[in-house]
Amino acid sequence: MNFWQTITGSDLTREWKAFEARAEALPDDDYRTAWGQIVTHLFPYGDFTGRNLMPILDAALGLLEEAAADGQSVHEVLGDDIRGFCSALAGGEGARTYRDRWREQLNRNVARKLSRLGG
Amino acid sequence: MDDLTEMLKGTLEGCVLEIIGSEETYGYAITRRLNDLGFADVIEGTVYTILLRLERNGLVQVTKRPSGVGPPRKFYELNEAGREELAKFWAKWQYVSSRIDRLKEGRG
Amino acid sequence: MSIHDIIEGKKQWRAHKARVKALPPDYQIVYKEMQRYLFKVGPIDLPDGPLLPGIVDFFEEGAATGKGVLELIGSDVAAFCDGLIKDSPTYADVYQESISGEPGTAEN
Repeated sequence: MNFWQTITGSDLTREWKAFEARAEALPDDDYRTAWGQIVTHLFPYGDFTGRNLMPILDAALGLLEEAAADGQSVHEVLGDDIRGFCSALAGGEGARTYRDRWREQLNRNVARKLSRLGG
Repeated sequence: MDDLTEMLKGTLEGCVLEIIGSEETYGYAITRRLNDLGFADVIEGTVYTILLRLERNGLVQVTKRPSGVGPPRKFYELNEAGREELAKFWAKWQYVSSRIDRLKEGRG
Repeated sequence: MSIHDIIEGKKQWRAHKARVKALPPDYQIVYKEMQRYLFKVGPIDLPDGPLLPGIVDFFEEGAATGKGVLELIGSDVAAFCDGLIKDSPTYADVYQESISGEPGTAEN
């Protein structure tokens, strides 16, 4: 039984349906595609119920929703390496390196946007 | 003195506990106290992260009070657990500093 | 409450966002970037803990004193964020624990 079957055949169905409805409500295709990729890449991390992934998926979708609401591009949020990004979300291989990259990204974005503000 | 950040890392929390222990106070005042003491590099953000941890770990009592200007201020006071933590901090500090002094004086 | 709840129309979250919008522009920029970072790192108390509203409280106090945001928290915003969540487990930690069956950390 794979992740999908498990998820649709369990008590998580309701939660999963809520995720799908939220993904549908994302403003454009780029975001929906990105969500699909995130799910695919997180899939190998799921245990046999998938329950352990739910908070991680929830946070990832929240990230997309907030970014979309602010009019940011998917690329700006996720970068080039969605697989690495997902591994980092799950705390898997390379998570540490990725978190360092998020740190740098944060400081760089802040510096860039504040300088645009004309200090 | 410059460049104390790394060295202060483990002790700043104890210093903040000590300051709160002597009287109920708020973030900005704690920062100023540390600056006046000679730790010029300590900024409010650093003190805030420490206060948040103290609150999360249940070591302080927090009260919001109106301030003359701007939004209400959060005032911090040690509770029983906080006082115990402070006593532990000074015991550890005593231990470490006495050992390091010994080392320096070549009696180690 | 999930991340979704805080985003989708919950009254508290709307009030929270309104407070962010009322901050000076430099504070708004830094808040938004911080929030994005925190969503990725995923500390488990993010959805209903005091973390995000606490940052806004702190920023409101700082803005009221007329300080720039980086004066308040330093230019290493990431270090400030990490200080805020220092002893808080993340979703990734919980997940790693769930598969290894023992306490672990995503930092290893």
